[in-house]
Amino acid sequence: METFLQVVTNGLMLGGLFAIVSVGLTLIFGIVKVINFAHGEYLMIGMYLTFLLATGLDVHPYLTVAAVAPLLFVLGALTQRFLIQPLMHARDEHVQIFATVGLSTALMNLALLVFGADIASTPASGLRTSLHIGPVRILAGQAVIFCVSIALVVGLHYYLQRTQTGRAIRAVAQNRDAAQLMGINVNWIYVLTFGIGAACVGLAASLVAPLYPTQPTSGTYFVLIAFVVVVLGGLGSIGGAFVGAMIIGLIDSLSGFYIGSDLREVAVFGVFLLILILKPSGLFGRRSLAHVSP
Amino acid sequence: MTQDKTDSAQRRGVIALALVLLGILAIPIAMDDQFIYHIFVTICIFAALSTAWNIVGGYAGQLSLGHAIFYGIGAYAAVMLTNLGITPWIGMFVGAFFAVIAAIVVSYPCFRLHGPFFALATIAFLEVFRVLALHFRSFTGGATGMMIPLNVGWEWMVFRDRLPALIIAFGLLLLTLAVAWWIRNRRLGFQLIATRERESAARAAGVGTVRVRLVGVSISAALCAMMGSFHAMYLTFIEPEAVFSLTFSIQIALFALIGGIGTIFGPLLGAVMLVPITEFARGWLGSGALGLHGFVYGVVLVLVVLFMPNGIMGLVQRFFEPDRSASEAEPASVPAEARASEARSFGEDVLQVERLDKHFGGLHVTNNVSFSLKEGEVLALIGPNGAGKTTVFNMISGFLKADSGSVVVRGPDGQFHSPTTPGDYAAIGVGRTFQIVQPFASMTVEENIMVGAFHRHHNVVDAREAARETAHRLGLGRWLHAEARGLTIGGLKRLEVARVMAMEPRILLLDEVMAGINQTDVRRAVDLMLSIRDSGVSIIAIEHVMQAVMSLSDRVIVLNSGEIIAEGTPQEVVRDATVIQAYLGKEFANA
Amino acid sequence: MLELKAVDAGYGATTILHSVSLNVQAGESVTIIGGNGAGKTTTLRTIIGLLRPTAGTIHFEGQDISRLSAHEVVELGITLVPEGRQLFPDMTVRENLYMGAFRRDARSQAEKTLKEVLELFPRVAERLDQQAESLSGGEQQMVAIARGLMARPRLLMFDEPSLGLAPIIVEQVFSVIDSIVKTGVTVLIVEQNVHHTLNAADRGYVLENGEVVLEDAAQALLTNDHVRQAYLGI
Repeated sequence: METFLQVVTNGLMLGGLFAIVSVGLTLIFGIVKVINFAHGEYLMIGMYLTFLLATGLDVHPYLTVAAVAPLLFVLGALTQRFLIQPLMHARDEHVQIFATVGLSTALMNLALLVFGADIASTPASGLRTSLHIGPVRILAGQAVIFCVSIALVVGLHYYLQRTQTGRAIRAVAQNRDAAQLMGINVNWIYVLTFGIGAACVGLAASLVAPLYPTQPTSGTYFVLIAFVVVVLGGLGSIGGAFVGAMIIGLIDSLSGFYIGSDLREVAVFGVFLLILILKPSGLFGRRSLAHVSP
Repeated sequence: MTQDKTDSAQRRGVIALALVLLGILAIPIAMDDQFIYHIFVTICIFAALSTAWNIVGGYAGQLSLGHAIFYGIGAYAAVMLTNLGITPWIGMFVGAFFAVIAAIVVSYPCFRLHGPFFALATIAFLEVFRVLALHFRSFTGGATGMMIPLNVGWEWMVFRDRLPALIIAFGLLLLTLAVAWWIRNRRLGFQLIATRERESAARAAGVGTVRVRLVGVSISAALCAMMGSFHAMYLTFIEPEAVFSLTFSIQIALFALIGGIGTIFGPLLGAVMLVPITEFARGWLGSGALGLHGFVYGVVLVLVVLFMPNGIMGLVQRFFEPDRSASEAEPASVPAEARASEARSFGEDVLQVERLDKHFGGLHVTNNVSFSLKEGEVLALIGPNGAGKTTVFNMISGFLKADSGSVVVRGPDGQFHSPTTPGDYAAIGVGRTFQIVQPFASMTVEENIMVGAFHRHHNVVDAREAARETAHRLGLGRWLHAEARGLTIGGLKRLEVARVMAMEPRILLLDEVMAGINQTDVRRAVDLMLSIRDSGVSIIAIEHVMQAVMSLSDRVIVLNSGEIIAEGTPQEVVRDATVIQAYLGKEFANA
Repeated sequence: MLELKAVDAGYGATTILHSVSLNVQAGESVTIIGGNGAGKTTTLRTIIGLLRPTAGTIHFEGQDISRLSAHEVVELGITLVPEGRQLFPDMTVRENLYMGAFRRDARSQAEKTLKEVLELFPRVAERLDQQAESLSGGEQQMVAIARGLMARPRLLMFDEPSLGLAPIIVEQVFSVIDSIVKTGVTVLIVEQNVHHTLNAADRGYVLENGEVVLEDAAQALLTNDHVRQAYLGI
């Protein structure tokens, strides 16, 4: 029983990790309607930045957020402005997929060129200490990630519902043309949204780097999981993505323990494919995936 | 544009293609260098894979990033069988067979998804295959991979020289190109492209969209598997990370994109341009600059997407092809001719609708709707927005399943049938248009109509003939070779009708074909409908344009909040107090 | 107030408007009529800045707006009620209306404007907290018009307000437009429904194949032979 509780707890912690990585992707997809295949590379870049700043300035990795999140914001905003925006009116969506796939390939290999294939380890700075809560143990860093992911989801939701800019963002997502007619600068909203989405990944990177090794392919694993989470949560629904992340975290943890750790991905992607096939609108989405594209 | 111009452009294209193919074979033989041979074998392999991918990714518009699955299945099948002493020439077909099975199993569910989601699902499947190949070590050798026994000779597809390998690779490339060309110029190709452009319109035109996509992906998978078998023999070693690789899948798609997605020979051009560059870069830079070649790859991809999204073929076409724009003035369609409305007699029922019910959530959109349509009759369906008219149409054309009630249609055999899918309805002779026009935007007007004509004609020549005839009848003759996306709304509405007419339906369902066109055009459209009726077609029309309803219909049914509130001749209905109150308004009554 | 001088505009390589000149005086209601594909919608999209003119100039209250983006034009006080309603489907009617008051001049007075607008649309007032997409087509058109008024526009433009609506709803829509005209807002209407729109407007332009072929007082156009034959089907 205690083992089971520990496995479930691990799953939830993993869920928090997946959630914090996926929130930005959900936001970008929900508003800009572009699937950013380079999302994982944003995370990887954020982790390298955290590593460089934390070791270079000898500060706690968490403090690097102050620099990493704004830098990622800029990276996201630039991506939207110079890569996605020229393609917004493209005839078909192939080009947008290829654009972000190309960016992903370029960034990953750039990291390989600059940092080599070796692992960069950000100092754990005490975040690997175990906390005992009742019968289960969790790492301090995991607990922080879990709490911050909840705060992030709640914060973003509030921002979108209650602020003038948040409403404008939602308006653009629902009807781009009409939003323009209301006097909303749509291109600016897209740049802003992409920036916010990337900044969320920057935040995630600073929290994740002390716990996980950083290497050029770090993003690839997370991005596939993040896609699963986003689809599961019903595309663009931030709360949905959070629940989706928890479910995937649990599946990952349970299947890793009970089936075999090399088959965890089969379980995760198996569930993903089942959801796609049986309920293509995602667990919490209203609009079917099948009709998202024109 | 003239036929001559097209012909000469075509001739130049054929010559250019022949030169490229000849070059692929002649250059390495002439230079006789191991490395050059290797580059050209690789060109053949990638060109063939990419051409095969293009059948799904280009024609059908399903952006698969999981094609390495089929390649990998071919590779593993050949290597495993070779290790059992069976020649890869057989292994190739065994691999193709299993790849087709995998393609159907993987694609059937995935085809419900579009665009990025389809791409994601194929990536997920690829990951599953990779992890499974790593897991079942006893079978696949796991992460250590598999070697082939080095038996040299044609029988084992392993050679000391490079020339035989080039010949096989070139042969496979020719086979793939021939298949791609053949599909594009046959019914299957038209149907695949129509499915890509507008799925619902393709279904209404009688295209079995799932079936044609499965056929397309099966052919594509079989070809990829055969290339995989050969490539494995060529490399003599395979491992899961290399064959079930996302990067490899992306590469396959990349060549098609650079060459020109959806074109027949674009993928070939893409491979010819890019493979030498990357192979030379790999040769020169070696492992000294780890990641540089991948970085260049990514950057090239981004630049191509930004600056030449239609690929090399897009550039080539701009030089060769005549202008396809449709910016001419509208011609008159059919001659307007006054018709006295006389009492007409009709045949037997051709369609019977019994007590249809449909709920959307808490909304009762169709409530106990029953009516019938007689042969040669024109029935108008009117009512306020949201009354459930289009829902009724969707239920009598197979796009929506009723909660209860029945629809029966009299077939050409005189018996009543209960069709269920859009395909069934099309097969029994029910054709429909859509309220929001659904052209196959990137196809020409002629090709659009041909998709409908293929319902009756299997042969391309017959279908083209039928399509031209229909186009002229509907006043679209001048735009036969214009892309549908260039038409005006009025033109698109006519195209919508033309596509259905080319199916030679016995029952025609017209959903607001007159909305958004001016009064003169309405009169023309009415005359057209009457001429269609006189050719023996029974019509149900949803219309808001009362002028058209009055002059066109033999009988009118008024729907309001999902229920039939009145039924009768046009004259009876417009005097009906309930109808005036719910729909027409007092001004109409006073007019 | 608004003046187009020899404007050319179109999509990509296709030019749809050829040297279109027209003007709207303050307080006037003007209509543009014409067959489908004549370029009516293109004209409005060019004025509002969704399309850039390829030649010619557009001035609004003396300022050249030819090169401005839509959001900048909206800030200046021009509002377009688009063809096919174009509401924000997942927002409530109230949120939709507030989005209408997004432009800086209108934002601070949103509460006050809402009260005024709802007096004009009692039916919309009943549905404030419903999701926009749950409304019927006619109700959605009313919300779209109300949303346009929320911007407190100096020039309000309508693109085919009757499109796809039942005859009885079309009458209601035009009676609302009539009352808006009476409040003194300058109005520019594009319509297929020639009869209604000419009755609502002071002056009209007839657009054919992207060119202005006729310009006259609305009542005069109603009796014009060409108009009667081509658009009224008489």
